[in-house]
Amino acid sequence: MSSLFEQFLVESRELVEAAGAGLLRLEKDVGDRDAVNEVFRAFHTLKGATGLFDWPAFTRLVHAAEDLLDAVRDGRARATPELVDRLLAVLDQCSRWIDAIEATEALPADADAQGRRLAAALSGATGTAEETPAARPPGFDWLDGTGVADARPLTAVAYDPDPECFFNGDDPLALVRRIPELVWLRIEPTTPWPAGLAGFDPYRCVLRFRALSAAPQADIAPVFRTAPDQVRFAALPPAAPPAAPEPAPTPVAPPPPEGALAMAEAILREQRRALGMDAGPAEMDGRIAAAARTAAGVLAAIGRSGEVEAVATAAATARAAGRPGPLADHLATLLAGFAPAEPLLAAPFPNAPAADSRAARRALRVEPERIDRLMALVGELVVAKNRLPFVIRETEDLSGGTAPARHLRDAYDAIDSLTDALQDAVLGLRMLPLAQVFQPLPRLVRDLAQRLGKQADLQLSGERTEADKDVLAVLGEPLIHLVRNALDHGIEAPDARRAAGKPEAGTIRVEARQERDSVIVEVADDGAGIDAGRVRRKAVANGAVDPARAASLSEEEALALVFLPGVSTASAVTDVSGRGVGMDAVRTAVESAGGRIAIASTPGTGTRVRLTLPLTMVITPIMVVAAGGAQFGVPTGAVAEVARVPAAEVRRVKHAESFALRGAVVPLFRLHRLLDLPPAADRRSGDIETVLVLRIDREPVGLAVDGVRERAEVVLKPLSGVLAGLRGYSGTAELGDGRLLPVINLRELL
Amino acid sequence: MPIRFDASLAHFEGDCTVEEALPLNDWLLAEKGPAVDLRRCTGLHTALLQLLLATRPALASGPEDPFLARWVAPLLHGPKG
Repeated sequence: MSSLFEQFLVESRELVEAAGAGLLRLEKDVGDRDAVNEVFRAFHTLKGATGLFDWPAFTRLVHAAEDLLDAVRDGRARATPELVDRLLAVLDQCSRWIDAIEATEALPADADAQGRRLAAALSGATGTAEETPAARPPGFDWLDGTGVADARPLTAVAYDPDPECFFNGDDPLALVRRIPELVWLRIEPTTPWPAGLAGFDPYRCVLRFRALSAAPQADIAPVFRTAPDQVRFAALPPAAPPAAPEPAPTPVAPPPPEGALAMAEAILREQRRALGMDAGPAEMDGRIAAAARTAAGVLAAIGRSGEVEAVATAAATARAAGRPGPLADHLATLLAGFAPAEPLLAAPFPNAPAADSRAARRALRVEPERIDRLMALVGELVVAKNRLPFVIRETEDLSGGTAPARHLRDAYDAIDSLTDALQDAVLGLRMLPLAQVFQPLPRLVRDLAQRLGKQADLQLSGERTEADKDVLAVLGEPLIHLVRNALDHGIEAPDARRAAGKPEAGTIRVEARQERDSVIVEVADDGAGIDAGRVRRKAVANGAVDPARAASLSEEEALALVFLPGVSTASAVTDVSGRGVGMDAVRTAVESAGGRIAIASTPGTGTRVRLTLPLTMVITPIMVVAAGGAQFGVPTGAVAEVARVPAAEVRRVKHAESFALRGAVVPLFRLHRLLDLPPAADRRSGDIETVLVLRIDREPVGLAVDGVRERAEVVLKPLSGVLAGLRGYSGTAELGDGRLLPVINLRELL
Repeated sequence: MPIRFDASLAHFEGDCTVEEALPLNDWLLAEKGPAVDLRRCTGLHTALLQLLLATRPALASGPEDPFLARWVAPLLHGPKG
């Protein structure tokens, strides 16, 4: 059961994602049949998946969405932007439910009410279908009074202009005049007319408009481009002046979904297998009870509730006997009644259309931790392998270059190249397409643009470019931030763009490509651009740079100041972005993954931010050192040598310590002090100090540690979450034995 | 000037914009028995329309513009709602 449950979690999230992507395409073009089909299939499969568990509210909601989409497919209903909105709301709810199910294995208590609310909203979002008259959306009650009966399908338009719209240059009557194929129009005051003109504000719009048109919504909506939030549409079926009262929506138990039978069979088979495994008496009792419960649920889900009681009887017999035999036999009988078994893994949700393209992707799911472990082991293998050349040299010295020593060297060469190939192969396992980090962007742009009253077209390219999963993990947040910034601060409001001679809809382009060992992601907008002078002034005002230095910077360098903490380009703080923490956070995240960030901007034309990240997480050789009772990793590349300095030779001037190394005075720092840790307990004066001699900016610096433990080759993982802001560490590394080691960022620390 | 005020009769001519709202408002307030001539009116800003709807001056001459004639003029003839 548990593996199926986990499979459900993964599958359902993918389906929600697929449906979401399809809906966004549908929103762009409400006539996109492929998109309708894609969304329908996703909901259909999701329904099948939920139906196998006991979550009636979930199944009912998804079922309602599926029905609606089916009607759209058949032409019984029409897709509208409003419908897309509500289906997206359904998907959001599904995501929340999946999260809740993952956490508690059950739906939240309010699931039923939430589901009904969303399902009711759905039924009002599209044209009334003949078979299933849908509730009229709120605000369309006036449809009863039109007296229009048209043989064509009509679109109802409810336009409630903003009272202040005259100030925006809107003339509602002029807009209404442009409605194509106008069939019927009513102009009415929003409130009863006052007795006279006293107190009447002629600049406040007090009229509203109700109209019917024979044109589809897609042709009408452009008329209201400047006032999309003030107009609502509803599609009406031909010659059906809505008169019949609404039948109350009756919750219908869904019929067994296609594919459910195979799934049900697989669940029963799994339960039977579980019963066959060894267990103590108490555990076996629980297992029998669980198997009986599951089997009953499965039978109910496929409409065979009549057989539930027999299962309960068999379970009772089994529990009384203290062995699973009777129930296992009963399950075997049930299983015999199914069609020949289909292998579950090959078709997790059989009959799911659109599975073809994803089948390959589903072939094997491996938990990332397993690959990480493999990676750590390969790292240790490389280290172990690197000890061989010394052994071989010793052997050669002893034997004087005889055949066995030569054979040893040949074997080493083979192991060497195999290890390299192995490392590449493991790194390859971790490569994922960037589509993953692009996935949330379309919805983000859509929702944010709506909120900001802007229009933006998001163009994604290079989704297939692959990068290491850790690189993707680093990339996700900054990318969202950059796109949000582009929309919030880059793209201007439609009227400003019009005034600047640009198309009203801005363009945000996100491009990914591979260049040698790097993956490059660019976020470009055609918005207002950034004024380098303003960044310069802001940075000086914040004390981020001193005025003399700011003045000496080139335009390009001045723009890069936006990446400093506290420098924001936005003059006003919005609730979306503009607090000046964003770009700094983006830079920190990218640099911690070994990447670079660059910005270019032309005022009036747009801004382009380029992230350059390593394609794979670089394998870093580190030394494991002890300090203050704990162990830390230090990148070997920064260590020029390990010196052993008698404690007596360390000179102290006030708190500053130094020692002499080949005639030069080298400043000495102690790692435990830099990290605010207590000194090691067993340290005595007169000891020999272990000092890592580091080269930082070509100057030697001594770092005293309590000891060097071992060397390792590791994949450095940047700190994430709340730890991401921690300075002084460049990340963590997993050692071959599973230990997690903090790795020190020497440059930050010193 | 799109609205020509001729004593108690206002002639709406061509595209009458929101600029006319204040003069029209003042004229409607001042006149005892105002009447309007929409015959040559081709565009009527919503601000002007709502002033006419709120005060219901007599319609001396209906608009020739098809849209206004079909959808707007009946409101000015009809019973005050």
